[in-house]
Amino acid sequence: MTKFKLSMITGALLASSAAFAQVTAITGATVHTATEQGTLNNATVLIEDGKIKAINPENVTANETIRANGLVLTPGFIGSMNQLGLVEVGAVANSRDASDEKAGLDFDPSYAFNARSSLIPYARKGGITQNVATPLNYDGAYQGLAFTANLSGEFDSVTDKHTAFVIYLGAKSKGSRALSFQQFVEKLEGQKAKLAKKDDKKDADKPSGEERVLTQLLNGEMPVVIGASRAADITQIIKLKSDFGLDVIISGAADAVLLADELAKAEIPVIVSAVANLPSDFDAMHATLENAGKLEKAGVKVLLTIAGDSSHNLYQLRFDAGIAVSNGMSYDSAIKAVTSNVADAFAIDGGKIAVGQPADLVLWSADPFELSTTVEKMWINGEEVTTESRHDKLRERYTTDSELPRAYTK
Amino acid sequence: MQKFAPSILVLALSAALAGCQDKGPQKDKVNIDKNPYPSTYKAMPSSATLITNATVLTGTGERLDNADVYIVDGKISQIGVDLNVQADTTVDAQGKWVTPGIIDVHSHLGAYPSPAVESHQDGNEMVSPNTAQVWVEHSVWPQDPGFNRAREGGITTLQILPGSANLFGGRSVTLKNVPAHTMQGMKFPDAPYGLKMACGENPKRVYGGKGVAPYTRMGNMAGYRQAWIEATEYKRAWERYEQEYAAGMNPDAPKRDIRLDTLRGVLDGEILIHNHCYKAEEMAMMIDLGKEFNYHSGTFHHGIEAYKVADLLAENGNCAALWPDWWGFKMEAYDMVQENVAIVDAVKNSCAVVHSDSDTTIQRLNQEAGKVMYTANQKGFNLKEQDAIKWITYNAAKSLGVADKTGSLEQGKQADVVIWDKNPFSVYAKAEHVYIDGAKVYDRKDEKYQAVSDFMLGQR
Repeated sequence: MTKFKLSMITGALLASSAAFAQVTAITGATVHTATEQGTLNNATVLIEDGKIKAINPENVTANETIRANGLVLTPGFIGSMNQLGLVEVGAVANSRDASDEKAGLDFDPSYAFNARSSLIPYARKGGITQNVATPLNYDGAYQGLAFTANLSGEFDSVTDKHTAFVIYLGAKSKGSRALSFQQFVEKLEGQKAKLAKKDDKKDADKPSGEERVLTQLLNGEMPVVIGASRAADITQIIKLKSDFGLDVIISGAADAVLLADELAKAEIPVIVSAVANLPSDFDAMHATLENAGKLEKAGVKVLLTIAGDSSHNLYQLRFDAGIAVSNGMSYDSAIKAVTSNVADAFAIDGGKIAVGQPADLVLWSADPFELSTTVEKMWINGEEVTTESRHDKLRERYTTDSELPRAYTK
Repeated sequence: MQKFAPSILVLALSAALAGCQDKGPQKDKVNIDKNPYPSTYKAMPSSATLITNATVLTGTGERLDNADVYIVDGKISQIGVDLNVQADTTVDAQGKWVTPGIIDVHSHLGAYPSPAVESHQDGNEMVSPNTAQVWVEHSVWPQDPGFNRAREGGITTLQILPGSANLFGGRSVTLKNVPAHTMQGMKFPDAPYGLKMACGENPKRVYGGKGVAPYTRMGNMAGYRQAWIEATEYKRAWERYEQEYAAGMNPDAPKRDIRLDTLRGVLDGEILIHNHCYKAEEMAMMIDLGKEFNYHSGTFHHGIEAYKVADLLAENGNCAALWPDWWGFKMEAYDMVQENVAIVDAVKNSCAVVHSDSDTTIQRLNQEAGKVMYTANQKGFNLKEQDAIKWITYNAAKSLGVADKTGSLEQGKQADVVIWDKNPFSVYAKAEHVYIDGAKVYDRKDEKYQAVSDFMLGQR
């Protein structure tokens, strides 16, 4: 009898959530929209069917109401330029899938994405709800394709397999960067010529993976992320954009401040680390903590990323945004640099609190950039997710008294 | 001729043997100069300085509100509320925070400097698992722009360590973070040397990969033990020489070996161990290794799993120098917990230290400590700013053997001091003034006190 009752209840619950769209209302929040709406005080956000249904509606009818009482609501932060889901332990070769020496220009690492990586719940501790992961090839210019995944940990969390093409055209420890650049230009020219011919005869051969990527780039259908830091290289990249009509994003960009106005005019977003302020090589002689703010003030769209082990340390993105603010970036721009600017540059959904956007939201105890602030609640596609990770299990095991060996504390 | 030669040899040998017992005129004694590259550090010019109305974290666990700090002759003279003293310079620190100068016990600045080009890879003598003979001070490039960036983050003292490729990586050096164009000009006067040791994955990967020992973790342990046996014999040989010489005999000095000089320095208690060691079971064995050969196992660096052996570390007087959140780059760094430092710190007589091992986070060690404090407090700890500051000041000084000189704001100590524009554990906090031995070495608002390395001069 008891068993029967329980299963009846479960059935009823399932039925109700299937039959009626669940509406969640977050009320009384300080909302950083990361849009032109800026910051809304004492605002209400309605979530339905995984999307943001309304902001400050006249009437609130909700199955669940979360009273924020002035807590801060932001879009989920978006990571980029890391190998989240492509690496578990850096030094463990068979847990790494971000590169392959046989990979071509069209290398698609999304096939290897591991939604159950322990890095994903850990990154959620930093309010990260979405990520643009990239291949990482230390040996050559061509990296391959970046893909987008949400941080739900679900197996279907890759949302876009071809988010960008990634190429590195900066300093090389062997050979000349000139050759990398020259060969890329030649590939683009070759494909451009081929496309011009193909317009004449429709029965062309099926294009290769490489040709498909180049075509998407030439048609502006997919951005190309170019890794480069030296100002001289950036001038070449600005020209490359205008010559081929590419949708260019520059990553690294240590010396981009020297060309801030030109980058703004060319509408080239830059992905920078807020903490990179050392001349790591002769390409980065102008790296300073003020660069993110200076670029923003010049009108450049700035995206922030993590320096160093950007996969394991992704949760720190919010602190880097705080460091950018303390060195001259405006607060609103820093919010955008980890949300809407990332979404816009990569042409993906999310990163904004706006009607129709996916309900990737984070409710913070206070200023999300501050060290003392915590994630109170977060949602990915309207589903509440936890920030608990195996790190918490380890802490609990070793801070819980027990007469038995620790291994029995689970 | 042929007969004659051996007999000469026999004569010579017997004379030599007799020489050991010879009570006759003694040969000059062979002394080992323990400080052949002495510090030439001199404090920069200073005047009597009074910092007023600050929130002061002393580094000894105390917090004083609206307090003054009075610096005279490079030393902390007085700390208290409304001090009635004469000062050449008064700094109004209303709303600001004052802490001891920040100390990083784990840095490679100068040895792995910026730019990180091939000519600058001077931190790891990766040719043999035991390179106790190398001294990292001989690699330090004082023009590393990273020293200036670290000073702007409040770093006044730092230990430069060799890398972790070897079981014995070589000697460390402790520096005062002043601009200088020689290493000696930065060298912290009278700070003890350290010896870098490394557990775990790095040595066995570097040498096992070449098909030589150590190939495994048990190979690592065998390598340490063999070296300490040699060092013990070396120490004994020199002590016998010293004793016999003191007794008026005329002994021959043992053959000098600079590798064994360093290990002997550890056995003599003059050189402190700084051990790159991540895992609980390895730290426990390194503590026993020290007991086996009668030296103290010192400070464990990186100690990702220190929280698993927090009791053992405190019981044995080991410091643990840790990151707040680095993890996952190798198997031995997989079991990170963000509360590691706090768990180690919570044990009585512990010595928890937050370190950087980074030219970037060394610039924000205050925030690295802040991350731990806040994360731990969310999990039920009750840590305050006056507790967290110890991890990057007093405890760090203790790890380096300089706690009698710096690391806290106490009367008579070297006036290594930072004025922060706000609570230093905020992400927005910045060091405004930095003092070393009472001299202003950095002022965020005055270019006169903003040093530029030779390398950066004329580049911008």
